[in-house]
Order: sequence, then structure tokens, then C-alpha cells
Amino acid sequence: MSLQRTNALIDHLDKDFAGADNRISPETAAATERLIAEDEEAARELAHLQLAVDAVQEAGLYQQVASVRQQWESQGLADERRIESTPEPQQQDHPPAEAPSGGVVRNLYRNTMRAAAIILVLIAGGAIFKYVRLSSSSLYSEYYSSYELNTSRGAASQDAIEQAFTAHNWTEVLALSADAKTSTNKTEFLAGMADLELKKFDDAIAHFEQVIASNTHSGQDYFEDEAEYYLAMSWLAKRKVNEAMPILEKIRANKEHLYHDKVEKMSFTDLRLVQYKENK
Amino acid sequence: MKVAEKYTDADLISAISSGKDLDRAIQFLYRQFSGAIRSFIMSYGGNEQDADDVFQETVIAFLDNVKKGKYRQESSVKTFLASVARHIWFNDLKKKERAGIREKKYESARDQHEMDISHQIGDVEQRRQLRELLTQLGEPCHKLLHLFYYENLPMKEIVEHLPYENEQVVRNKKYKCLQQLTGMIKANPALAGQLNELIKK
Repeated sequence: MSLQRTNALIDHLDKDFAGADNRISPETAAATERLIAEDEEAARELAHLQLAVDAVQEAGLYQQVASVRQQWESQGLADERRIESTPEPQQQDHPPAEAPSGGVVRNLYRNTMRAAAIILVLIAGGAIFKYVRLSSSSLYSEYYSSYELNTSRGAASQDAIEQAFTAHNWTEVLALSADAKTSTNKTEFLAGMADLELKKFDDAIAHFEQVIASNTHSGQDYFEDEAEYYLAMSWLAKRKVNEAMPILEKIRANKEHLYHDKVEKMSFTDLRLVQYKENK
Repeated sequence: MKVAEKYTDADLISAISSGKDLDRAIQFLYRQFSGAIRSFIMSYGGNEQDADDVFQETVIAFLDNVKKGKYRQESSVKTFLASVARHIWFNDLKKKERAGIREKKYESARDQHEMDISHQIGDVEQRRQLRELLTQLGEPCHKLLHLFYYENLPMKEIVEHLPYENEQVVRNKKYKCLQQLTGMIKANPALAGQLNELIKK
């Protein structure tokens, strides 16, 4: 076959490729098609050329797949493929169905490990979040509750300071306490609570300590439990957990203490975490 | 390598047919199917290298089928790949003459579907021989034909990749290269049978 004819056949093969020679006239193209249809040798040569093109495409595909395979293997994904792959053989009718199904077990194991890892991360995240936001004052906010004066005797029998306290008139409580001719544990304690409500923590601490000192001196325990508990709360409010802890531990150890149940419900883990954090 | 994205069968066929981001589709095939098929090959006497090679041939055969529109989607991609891999491996066993009883034992497992697969993917050994011919062609011709017939680049871009002056020089060179390759195919006795079959069609 002449070189010219072979090149015409190549042009015919090339017509669907981007690099085709677009200068070929429709008449030339039609003549080549007639040649292929009518000349057996031309048809045979075209088949040879087509096989050559197939070979080029086959080699190209091989190169591309080999390149991906190489990347796959070099990046260690090959080790993961058994784990990540779908257990295909199980859906086959034939030998692949009998192939080892270790991938399923490994998949289950992997998923379990993933779930465990997620839970651990969540727990760790929660612990970190809690640690960051934990402080004496946050514990104070969590555990503080206002003192309710016992009014079982009826409002009529209340003295002025009790009435002011019941009315949450803290300034009046403090004024009456200061004006009182005789200071009692009760007036000291109520004044301490009024200071605590007004967030005058140092003054509150002074009043509560006065109650405790007075009881130590007299051997009584009038408003002792109340003063101890709220003294501890005052120290927490002042971010002085080291001062609060011994008092709280003492209350927790004493089941007869008025505030034992309340302190028992506190998280001493949190308190110690705060202690650790604030002592750093 | 980026982790391959997930494809449905239809998406995968579409991605391969269009040729866009073919690498990612191949990555997906490796990630999703190589484990099971490698296990199968190794459970029937293959070593790691055999398993890798068979899977690679399987992927090539699958891609070739899809690109040429021969994949009929009568079965899922998984099933098709498994059938192709099985076909390739049994033929390899036969050719390596180490199948023996094992091959006979599983020979009965072949059914009409596998015969269809055989028809679809052709003779893998002949495909290997065709690839081998390309390596004998020489780098300049191989590169030129690859850019034209595989990368499907316009002539203007092909010129930029090659040390030739202009499009006409490249075009003339390509005529010669393709004729040279055709001559090599004609001269290869192992490919003669395939040629005759092809011409008869």
C-alpha cells in the first residue's frame, strides 16, 4: 500500500481525536471511506492501524494506573486497603465469596476503635472545658444559696433586724446590727449574711469569724454551724479555696452538722481541682 | 495522594467515561476493591506481587471497557471486577503451569458470565504484549503517540511537549511512528491470531 494511502487511513482514524488535521476536505474524507469499504487491503491495513492505536491507549492506561498504584503503595495506603475495602467477595456467587472476610472483622474493630477514640476525645474535651471554667467563684455561684431565717414563731414576734433580713433589706440589717447595743451571734451572723448578699466578702468573713470566736470563748454553738458554712462560702467567693477547704472538710466529716448534707453533695473533686489550679 | 472520594457505580462510570479526574476514580477503585480482590488472589495461590499485578490488570481492563463503552452495567462494578480478576488469575495460573489440581477444582466455578467477561476484556496476555511493543518503539515515538492518542491533546499543545519546530513536522513524525508500530505488530507472531480475528470482524 502506498504511503499516501496509509496516511489517508491514519487521517481517517484520527478524525475523532483533538489533534486531528482539520484541513482535510470532506471530499478527501469521503474518498477514504469509499476506499475502506471497497478495498479489502485498505480495510486490513486500517485494522492494523487501529490495533496500533489500541496498543498506545492500552499502554497509556497502564502507565496511569501504575502511577496511582505506586502512589498508593508508597504512601502506605496499601496497608489500609484490606481494612477500608468493602468486603466484596461476600456478594459474589463464586470464589471471591470464599475469600477470607477478615476485612469485616477489621472494619468492625476499626469502627469500634474510632468510636472509643471519639468518646475519649469528648471526655477529654469535657474535662478540659470544665478545668478551664472551674474556679472558686464558679463553685461559689454553683453552691451558694441565700440563708432563710426561721420564721416559725411568726412575723409578729420578729425583731427589727429579723424583719429587715426577711425583707431582704440588707442595708437596714447592717445598720441595725451596727446600732445594736449588744452584739449577739445572731446579729453578727445576719450582718455577715447581709454583707455576703451585698458581695462585701471581707466584711462577711469578719462577722462569721466573730460568731465562731465568740462560741469558742463561751463554749456555746449558737449560729455556729451557719457561720461555718457561710464562712467557707465567703472564702470561695473571694477565690480563697485553701481557706474554704478545711472548713468544708470539717463539715463533711460531721454528720450532725446542720450543713452536712449540703456539703456532702458538693464535688470535692472540683474543689481540689480548683485548689490545684489556684495554687499553681 | 488525596483520599479518593466516594462514588456510586453510576458516578464512577461517568467519571471514567468523561476522563475527567481519572486518577481519582482509579484511587477509589484501589481503596474500595483492592483488599477483597487481593485476598481472593492470595487465597488461591497467589503471592502479594501476583495479587497486586492481577488487581492492576483488572483495573486496566475495567477502565478500558468503560472508556470504550463496552461495560454494559448488567452487574455492579464490584461483581464485574471480581469476575475480571478471577478470569485473569485463572488464565495466569494456567499459563504459569502451576494451577494443577487447584485450577481444575475451581474451573467448574466458571460459568457463562465468565465467558462473557472473557469476550469483553479479551486476552490479557495479548494486551501485555501490545504494551511491550510500545517499549520497543523508542521514547520519542512513544511520547508523540501517547500525547495524541491517549492524552488526546490538540496538535498545538503536542508541539509544546516535543522538540519539533511546528505542527506539520509533528504530524509527519506521527504518521511515521504509527506506521512503525503497525509494522511491529504485523511482525509479531503472537499477535497474528488477534489481528486475523480483528480483521474478520
